[in-house]
Amino acid sequence: MTTDGTVAPPRRPAGSGAALPWLGTAVRLVLGGVWVVAGALKLPDPAAAERAVRAYELVPEGVVPLLAFGLPVLEVALGVLLLAGAFVRPAAVASALLLAVFTAAVASAWARGLTIDCGCFGDGGEVDADQTAYLTEVLRDVALLAGSLLLGVRPRTRLALLDRVRPPTRGDSDAHQP
Amino acid sequence: MPTSPDRAPARGRAAARERIAARRAAEQVAERQRRSRRLRLLTGAAVAALVVVAVVVTVVVQSARTDTADAVAPAGTAAGTAGTAFALGSADAPVTVDVYEDYLCPACRAFEADAADTMDELVAGGEVLVRVHPVAILDRLSDDEYSTRAVNAAAVVADAAGVEAFSQFSALLFAEQPAEGGPGLSDDDLVALAARAGATGEDVEAGIRDLRFGDWVAEATDRASRDGLTGTPWIRVDGEDLERPTAEALTAAVEAARG
Repeated sequence: MTTDGTVAPPRRPAGSGAALPWLGTAVRLVLGGVWVVAGALKLPDPAAAERAVRAYELVPEGVVPLLAFGLPVLEVALGVLLLAGAFVRPAAVASALLLAVFTAAVASAWARGLTIDCGCFGDGGEVDADQTAYLTEVLRDVALLAGSLLLGVRPRTRLALLDRVRPPTRGDSDAHQP
Repeated sequence: MPTSPDRAPARGRAAARERIAARRAAEQVAERQRRSRRLRLLTGAAVAALVVVAVVVTVVVQSARTDTADAVAPAGTAAGTAGTAFALGSADAPVTVDVYEDYLCPACRAFEADAADTMDELVAGGEVLVRVHPVAILDRLSDDEYSTRAVNAAAVVADAAGVEAFSQFSALLFAEQPAEGGPGLSDDDLVALAARAGATGEDVEAGIRDLRFGDWVAEATDRASRDGLTGTPWIRVDGEDLERPTAEALTAAVEAARG
């Protein structure tokens, strides 16, 4: 859907740009895989998902089911889009926003002295004080956030369904994506 | 054609044709891009709509799965706990201690080993009313949903033989606590322990094996979570969280609560 074949000039010789799309593909697949796994693990035990959300003590009770049951679906959907390589920029932006919110939530739990597991991959809720892993969780989220931002800036990668890399066409600048 | 530097008419016509052809090609490209952009927009809207529908359906389905409104509570639950706890001691006692425990939780076992005698003395002296809230938050840490099965068995014992038998059964469950990460006690084991606590008979056995109060266990756990449970053991003395789950801290908190 994105090719406009006939008018494209011959490919430019591979320069510094040749490796970047493959790096983007790797980031996209890792990020997509993480989202799918993280979302899917929260679906089998909905009551535990609610407890994980409540453990943050951030949202009123009425919002808990919406977050506990809705967010995992959103996570799986983001992951599928990223894995497929379709609507990569919107998915990457949403991914970055979600990760920013999650990182802030974990950091706030840390700052308030709560002793919880982030619930990032199912589980969640209460843990012993010596079993918290806030630093690891924050660092992991920040790394994934960086990957999301990279994909937001450069959504076109190799092995993608829609957002394939394509050779630059005449008169196109880098900013030709919708 | 004011821009044409060509003098020969033939060459001028050829150049004009080329320019027209180039413009057509450009228009075609533009049209193709317009069409692909529109298709992309439509596909995007469809994907977004699909995600919204999936979120709504999942919220509805998961809400139904967690709905325990028609859970049947066992007999003998404590007043003021919406049927989710068992009380030991006099209702007139000046101080109320709420104890939330998961039978698979090692810290709960440690608390019981340390503070069970203290609680018994405080109850016997009429100083406190202990409300035991068994919860199942550690199902994922056993192969066979032991937390839920254990709380269900405790409810069956309470239902059949009363709160004293429940208390004994709880003590036995902590004494025989299985390790996290493996199988829990089998239903046979639970039936045998129930008999030692004074609850016997086919009805007790069926209740344990058939998870008679399974919905109630989910309901009680959910209520505890809504009440602020973030870990076990969670001990509250007249509504105040106990900082450390020890007999010493409990005694001090009870004395402080009595004023």
